[in-house]
Amino acid sequence: MFDLHGYFPMILEGMTLTIEVALLSLLIAVILGLFGAIAKLSKSRIARSIATVYTTLIRGIPDLVLMTIIYYGGQIQVNNIGDALGWDYIDISPFVAGTLTIGFIFGAYMTETFRGGILAVSHGEIEAALAFGMPSWKVFLRITLPLMVRHALPGFGNNWMVLAKTTALVSVIGLHDMMYNAGVAGGATRQPFTFFLVVALMFLSITGISDLGLRWANRRYSVGVRKV
Amino acid sequence: MDNRNTALVVEELHKYFGSEEVLKGISLEASEGDVIAMVGASGSGKSTFLRCINLLEIPTSGKIFVRGELIRMKQDRYGVTVPEDLKQVERIRTRLGMVFQQFNLWSHMTVLENVIEAPVHVLKMDKIEAIERAEELLHKVGIHDRMNYHPAHLSGGQQQRVAIARALAMEPDMLLFDEPTSALDPELVGEVLRVIRQLAEEGRTMIVVTHEMDFARDVSSRVVFLHEGSIEEDGPPGEVFNNPSSERFRQFVSKYVEQ
Repeated sequence: MFDLHGYFPMILEGMTLTIEVALLSLLIAVILGLFGAIAKLSKSRIARSIATVYTTLIRGIPDLVLMTIIYYGGQIQVNNIGDALGWDYIDISPFVAGTLTIGFIFGAYMTETFRGGILAVSHGEIEAALAFGMPSWKVFLRITLPLMVRHALPGFGNNWMVLAKTTALVSVIGLHDMMYNAGVAGGATRQPFTFFLVVALMFLSITGISDLGLRWANRRYSVGVRKV
Repeated sequence: MDNRNTALVVEELHKYFGSEEVLKGISLEASEGDVIAMVGASGSGKSTFLRCINLLEIPTSGKIFVRGELIRMKQDRYGVTVPEDLKQVERIRTRLGMVFQQFNLWSHMTVLENVIEAPVHVLKMDKIEAIERAEELLHKVGIHDRMNYHPAHLSGGQQQRVAIARALAMEPDMLLFDEPTSALDPELVGEVLRVIRQLAEEGRTMIVVTHEMDFARDVSSRVVFLHEGSIEEDGPPGEVFNNPSSERFRQFVSKYVEQ
């Protein structure tokens, strides 16, 4: 169908990297999102304020701007700290910067998704667990969290799809992901259309497979919910 | 007063919601084997009182002794009353089995999982032993055949019977029922009351907040009538129903008889 002039292995390598960045930043985003949601719903005013500043800032700044700030700005900060403490030069790799930034950005979206999910859990079920003497951390893990998943899944799925696509931005800070490699190949062969079309199809396959997974998860977590 | 052999002693319990005083100094003693029916109009404070016993609501002031043990309270830095030791509260809660008006079964778990959850994860009971006991209890409340169903696939009456089995699985010293039949369709009330009556006959100590006057009259060993946050009538059912000392209770009962 496409003549890729032998560049296909390079695109595939890029895709592996893209998937790595996506999955790792998803992990970071989920962890940040859980802490963010707990902070936003906590009684502590300080925790609530920090979480609010986090979500407001992140959601109000374009991803590309944040990524460049963290990559270039972060490098300068690390250099400054390193100089002050007498460390050797520490190089922030584009991989680390990209993954952290995307995880950090989507942690803010996950915070909102999880917060909504937790709020949707019936208070009576939480109260029942407390009434049997369950410590509150255990109530969160055994009752609130599994019940929250069902409510959070649709939003989670959306976030994941957008996150997966956002990984294309890491090519800007020089990471050799699928997008970057397609640019190289397209330039060398003067067929950018072909190569970016291949990238588009590959992204479509990633999001398509995710969609199937999410549908499965949705069924799995709707067990015990009567279909209306 | 010797609190040691008394299942529950409550002294001068006050509860405010904002500036509104919902409980105006309630004192109550329950001995082992007592079945106390708490009755009263909506808003009389009977559910709030029940929820204060296991600290689902924090009383503003007053003392609660469960089997002689005082639940220790303190003032936080804003002057709000809070439990001094959460571990103590959790330990006491394991001894008080609660049944809610809305059942509050955990919807992501099957009937069996609901019943073994607290014994396994709070009391650290062996899982196989917990399952064996759960099966017995589900037999007892007559819902053994629905063990692997999720709560959403059961009727209200079935759910409430599971909730009772879940409370019994903790082998509590006392059972607290918060309007256990108020959320049920009329034709399902009987099956739940039969189970509660059976528990009363076994000699379990329980406090039942209820609107079921027949139940209060026939099953309880004591009827406590609450009106606007105070106890207006307290005595054995035969006495209070036939010869009430409070005019309000007389009116309250006559309203139910008319219905």
